[in-house]
Amino acid sequence: MNALTDGCAIVTGAGSGLGRALALALAPHMQVAGLGRRIDALEETEALAGGNFLPLQADVTDPAQVAQAFDIARNIAPITVLINNAAIYPRRDFLDETAASFMDTVGINLGGMVTCTRAALSDMTATGFGRILNVATFADLHPLPASSAYSVSKGAARIFTRALIADIGDRFPGIVVNDWMPGMLATDMGIADGLDPAVAARWGAKLALWHDASLTGTTWEMGAEIPPARSLKRRIADRVLLRPRAKPRQL
Amino acid sequence: MGRPISEPLSDIIARHWDAIVIGTGIGGGVAGRALAEAGLSVLFLEQGRAGLRAEETGLDIGMADPVARAVRGLWPDPVEAEVNGQSQSFFAPLGSGLGGSSVFYAATLERPELHDLDDSPERPHPTGGWPVSYAAMQPWLDAATGLFALHGEPDPLSDIPCPALSTPPPPQPGDAMIMAQLAANGLNPYRLHTALRYLDGCAECLGHKCPRACKMDGRSAGVEPALATGNAALLTDCTVTRLGRDGPVITQVTARKGGDEITLKARHVVLAAGALSSPRLLLASTSEADPTGIGNARDLVGRNLMFHLNEVFALWPGRAAGFAGPSKSVGFRDLYFAESQRLGMVQAMGVDVGYGEIVHHLRGQVERSWLRHIPGAKDATRIPAAIGARLMGQAKVFVGLLEDLPYGENRVTHDPAHPGRIAMTYRTAPELLARRKIFRRLIRRAFRGQRTAFLTHRPEPNFGHPCGTLAMGRDPAKSVLDAKCRPHGMTNLWVTDASVFPTSMGVNPSLTIAANALRVAAILKDEK
Repeated sequence: MNALTDGCAIVTGAGSGLGRALALALAPHMQVAGLGRRIDALEETEALAGGNFLPLQADVTDPAQVAQAFDIARNIAPITVLINNAAIYPRRDFLDETAASFMDTVGINLGGMVTCTRAALSDMTATGFGRILNVATFADLHPLPASSAYSVSKGAARIFTRALIADIGDRFPGIVVNDWMPGMLATDMGIADGLDPAVAARWGAKLALWHDASLTGTTWEMGAEIPPARSLKRRIADRVLLRPRAKPRQL
Repeated sequence: MGRPISEPLSDIIARHWDAIVIGTGIGGGVAGRALAEAGLSVLFLEQGRAGLRAEETGLDIGMADPVARAVRGLWPDPVEAEVNGQSQSFFAPLGSGLGGSSVFYAATLERPELHDLDDSPERPHPTGGWPVSYAAMQPWLDAATGLFALHGEPDPLSDIPCPALSTPPPPQPGDAMIMAQLAANGLNPYRLHTALRYLDGCAECLGHKCPRACKMDGRSAGVEPALATGNAALLTDCTVTRLGRDGPVITQVTARKGGDEITLKARHVVLAAGALSSPRLLLASTSEADPTGIGNARDLVGRNLMFHLNEVFALWPGRAAGFAGPSKSVGFRDLYFAESQRLGMVQAMGVDVGYGEIVHHLRGQVERSWLRHIPGAKDATRIPAAIGARLMGQAKVFVGLLEDLPYGENRVTHDPAHPGRIAMTYRTAPELLARRKIFRRLIRRAFRGQRTAFLTHRPEPNFGHPCGTLAMGRDPAKSVLDAKCRPHGMTNLWVTDASVFPTSMGVNPSLTIAANALRVAAILKDEK
């Protein structure tokens, strides 16, 4: 396997919003398989793509459905790209949550990512080659009211990215894993005056098709890399040692 | 690449194998391959995991979790060592997985010198010579050179031909310039003998696992081709706990597999668990007939443990020299035997030293000195390191491998309460320290006029090069194994790892391990 585009890309939550836009942005470059719960929505994405898109009805919280969908996808080509995009954002006060409703959100936002990542790694660890892009947010930094399950699950998802890298980063430098914040989007999940998801998806697709080991562990916001935070001590040391600041990369 | 025979465990246990090979490093892998290719049925037993073939894991001595280490094929537990009277517990550069330590190695397979094996009036051998002469070993060194696809240049100081050695690709600019600089200093550098096939897109996986059968190691040049013959099988996660004997014959191999104890049977047993572990297995194999373990009637098993002393030094060619890339594959033997002393060869280490490495090195120094009790001392090393790095630019790092000699009190020990633990006692002999002084003086002199600095100050045994713990010899009173690498008096137990070395030589052990494994396998396959 020499190029990501020789394989199959999986996009979760491909029936709407950013997931659909990402699938449409990738389809001109490679075979895409879109996962989603609603087949009619996926078929709409398929029609918009006009080829190279395979709709696969699957609930990412169900490992059996995910396994079946991945089997169909890898029958076309080995899975080289995974974009973990599927997420829900129920606005709900914590006093209106039950433990079960809270964990339902965690099951999709964190559990779906874990299930799909594990499935994709079967292909990627066999070749040592692949790309995993996790759609992420800053929601965990300052949780908003009526967002507890979303903030917790998306925060845990960011930790998952780092934990995954701790386990496979040194063993499989050719499997490139990182987080991408698409920005505030004009989708059902986002805000009315947000960014057109098609614009964000151009960045996301470009990042997902960029295979460079140095991207592993980096965080990107819209079209730019966010340099890792430096402690005060580090900033002073860098200044004293005249160490040049690394320029954040742009898409 | 072949597909492992996936026989059910019950079939593996029921079968009477021609040979069971314990350990899948270079010694076990190569011996097992030769036997399988000769048509014998071979069962490999490996304590660690098979791992995933595409992994590129490096040798990480900073990772401490035993599960994380085992997954990566690293020896999971710290080594307990008493070094010069001081108790230490540390992670040694040892593998525990398919291919053993060799999947991580820098694939430098250097030929020993005549005097490493042979006794002569000009260069007397400390043990009177190996029971196998250089001339007898030479065809096997040549065979191993071919089997490991060695690429490099013949040593200009040697007139022994290396017929199987292949021409390496053109040197990288860094290597070419370092060669020129060494030659200008009157030295005789050559391109090291490296076990790389240089397949298309070769990334020169030195120091980490190679995702393809391009770097030749115990896995790619041993176990995998053995499995491809269809005559071999592999059991991983299988820890051999003891051998049982009846007179001169090993009758059974007892092992732990997935929490169960299993018993395996074979006509021959090849022991290649490594010089720190093979003796432990013999010591653990006690019985009425062998109260202190198999082959240990004279209390020699585990003794005569040797390492090389690593003399690491940095050479700063100066910022203006503009070297491109680290030097990886250059060495010289001008100091191998000098001032009538057995010293060793000098090799580029394949790393450049910049700020980060200097900090790491200085921190290590602080940790080992009284300064470790002072808070902040470790961090204070950043300042001299930064100054050093700015002043001197990137340095090329070399290592001199100083030969160690056998001493009975240097030994691997076995504790029945912790049978899986590697424990050892080691003391740097006064005579070794004296030779070390000469070696360092000669290295300094060889680079006169260049800016150099030794990065090792105290004697540093290379714990990745253990050997000698089941030495072969002609005299049963002074050695564990006979010249065929069987414990004296035994008929079907053979050792093919570095345990068998009577002396540590002045070169990396891998080529000699492979050559000896081929030699022993050739004897074994003709035995009834």
